[in-house]
Amino acid sequence: MSKDYEPNIVAFLCNWCSYAGADLAGTSRVQYPPNINIIRVMCTGRVNPLFLVNAFQQGADSVLVSGCHPGDCHYMEGNFYARRRFTLMKELLEFIGVDPRRVNMSWVSASEGGKFKDVVEKLVKDAKDTGPFEQFRRNKINW
Amino acid sequence: MMEGMKLQKEKLNDFLDGLRKEKYLFAPQKEGESLQFSPVSEESQVELDFQNTIIPPKNAVFPQTETLFTYQIGKLDIELPEEDRERVVLGIRPCDARAMEIIDRLFSWDEDDPYYFDKRNKAALIGLACLEPCINCFCTSFEDGGPASTAGLDVLMTAAEDIFILQPVTEKGEQLLSEQDLLETASDDEMKTVEKSHAEAAEKLQRKIDTEGIPQGLPGLWESPLWEKVSGSCLGCGICTYLCPTCHCFDIQDEVEGFDGRRCRMWDSCMFGEYTLHASGHNPRPTRRERTRNRINHKYAYFVDKFDVIACVGCGRCINYCPVNIDILNILAQVKEEL
Amino acid sequence: MVDLEKLRQTAKDIVSRDDVKHIIGWKQGTYGFRVEPHFAAEPDEADALTFSPLCTNNLATYLTLAEKLPVPRGEEPDTRKVALMVKGCDSRAVVQLLVEQGLTREGVYVVGCPCSGVVDVKKVEKMFPDILEPAQAYWKNDQIVFQLPDGEKEVSREEVLPQKCLLCRYPNPVIYDELLWDEVKAWGSEDYEDVKELEAKSPEERWDFWKDKFSSCLRCYSCRNVCPMCYCEDCVLDRLNPTWTFRSVNLSENTSYHLARAFHLAGRCIECGECERVCPVDIPLMKLNRKLYKEVVERFDYEPGIDPEATPLQASYRPDDEEDFIL
Ligand code: SF4
Ligand code: SF4
Ligand code: FES
Repeated sequence: MSKDYEPNIVAFLCNWCSYAGADLAGTSRVQYPPNINIIRVMCTGRVNPLFLVNAFQQGADSVLVSGCHPGDCHYMEGNFYARRRFTLMKELLEFIGVDPRRVNMSWVSASEGGKFKDVVEKLVKDAKDTGPFEQFRRNKINW
Repeated sequence: MMEGMKLQKEKLNDFLDGLRKEKYLFAPQKEGESLQFSPVSEESQVELDFQNTIIPPKNAVFPQTETLFTYQIGKLDIELPEEDRERVVLGIRPCDARAMEIIDRLFSWDEDDPYYFDKRNKAALIGLACLEPCINCFCTSFEDGGPASTAGLDVLMTAAEDIFILQPVTEKGEQLLSEQDLLETASDDEMKTVEKSHAEAAEKLQRKIDTEGIPQGLPGLWESPLWEKVSGSCLGCGICTYLCPTCHCFDIQDEVEGFDGRRCRMWDSCMFGEYTLHASGHNPRPTRRERTRNRINHKYAYFVDKFDVIACVGCGRCINYCPVNIDILNILAQVKEEL
Repeated sequence: MVDLEKLRQTAKDIVSRDDVKHIIGWKQGTYGFRVEPHFAAEPDEADALTFSPLCTNNLATYLTLAEKLPVPRGEEPDTRKVALMVKGCDSRAVVQLLVEQGLTREGVYVVGCPCSGVVDVKKVEKMFPDILEPAQAYWKNDQIVFQLPDGEKEVSREEVLPQKCLLCRYPNPVIYDELLWDEVKAWGSEDYEDVKELEAKSPEERWDFWKDKFSSCLRCYSCRNVCPMCYCEDCVLDRLNPTWTFRSVNLSENTSYHLARAFHLAGRCIECGECERVCPVDIPLMKLNRKLYKEVVERFDYEPGIDPEATPLQASYRPDDEEDFIL
């Protein structure tokens, strides 16, 4: 893998916590790698696990689902459902041979700009180690 | 016409290499668990000892998914796929070759389908006579059908003890064989043995249907309670149609990723609910009853009406692989009873 | 012990009732070892019903398969019960349908058939190839006896049963309105050996395993359609707007298909094995299902298709669900 490989990380952040956390990281001028593509969702409970599969198909090298800490979800229990679904999808993806480091979930609250930075840094490091995702990438090679 | 030629069995691989040199060679190979026709490469293990492949060889000329053209969003031009290479399909069973001849008629109905004929015209079919037909084969029920029928073939190949006999059927086949240098002329005795094995194979078929009257009679059974009865257990899956060598329905869709798009066509099945679903939400074939009725009618009535041939060759696949034992011969027998 | 007399008589009594539309059971198929689903609406049609080690089909799928056409104006909807014959595994599908409210308890009349394991027809056909004449089979102690044209053949259960039957823990229906004969003693236990074996491999090796399988998939959707738990009217895999999975058949879309199918059955799959049975290209779908089943049992202490009062797994949570992997 070439030195200058820059991974593409797709992150689904909930509107009320993690997105605000990312925003805070930005406004407090915390530096973190720019490899992350954020998709704002209202709640992690809105993340259909098929989003992850689709992200991988369309070119994500790693995915992240991030939301409020358990108990803090704006919709009370959205992240509890999300956690169950994510657990199962993660297990399934790993079972068919996707590297576990590519499938991530985190709790980042609105005040945790620093934690958001740490999470992104870890993901980028992991993604650089694992290399580009090619296993079931939907790409022009098939066409 | 050139006489029968023989090939020593141990030279088969060299023979395949010869064919493969300039052409795409499709031959039965193990793909995962199932045997199917796929392009032969250096490492391929070609298998010629089988009853029939699960997936029919139609994919050699009519792939399950095929790009019609590619384009870029926002630009006005399209890019056509490269022209296809000459190809040889080796080991195709006579029933499946007949099936190709049958779908030719559809694809050349009003205008020649360029994608299909680009491959089809470049394909030479080397058939493998079917000496051990499967229990549900009924190819002899059709005019020019049979385990050693040459319909649609360019060369007929028959396995004997330690040789293969290759008999050219068309000029294309003759041309193809004359280019190969591993062949020798077969002796009269050898030809006789082969003929005998063909006759014996035809005797081995256990199932048969007398199609007399079915094409004319089917339209009259449109509202018969029969259809409800035979479709009750249907799951609405695509096994019978995808595995059928004469089924040729396709769907065309645009697939876009980012700014790259392609229009492609892929096999479709009349047994799926969305097959006839209109944009309005109306579905003229709303239940499995209508779909099953359509499948039988298409093969045994509409196709006969349009193209003068029954679109079923008796390969037995739909009977063998239907998960709920819907048996086309059984349906046809019931149809005959009602005529 | 299987009592066909009783089975047919019971079926006749049931279909004679005014509030029953038909009974769904099994009958001898058109050739060899095949059995086909049979819908008996009249007492005399019940004579064809049978039960034997060849009765593999999970008929619970027909509870939701029938298309629901709009009722013509002036007509009353048909609210009669559907009677259904079930083995142990099949009955779990009924329970799970009740849990998901895909079915009402009044809508079905369940006739339980305690079962000693049904065969894997592919194995049997390999063992006794080229048998066209309809053949029969019955259980005898630890054997299955096949009645072939050239006499009876005894085969040990291990040789012809599919994995799901060898491991079966619920051979007796878990829900029924009527039980046809005495319950059998359960024999199976589950240790997920083959799942663990694959888990122990490296991601690359696992992908190598699945890559081959997924690329041979034809996307005939038989595995989806046969599944009693796959009954969405508008399946996500058929949708065009948005298109989740493209219709083209290649490794990427096929993988997406299989992930979606397996995931949607997590905590719902009742391990009847139908998906794997029907697959024409022998994709080991049960490995995916069992992997998720294992996670569901181990992590969430949940077993689908046992308790009709349960809440569906993915529609519930515990605040203390494991989250060791969350950053
Ligand atoms: S039954 Fe087999 S071939 Fe058909 S869609 Fe399912 S896995 Fe694919
Ligand atoms: S996924 Fe397979 S084993 Fe599970 S319920 Fe559906 S058909 Fe049965
Ligand atoms: S709103 Fe943040 S997880 Fe639900």
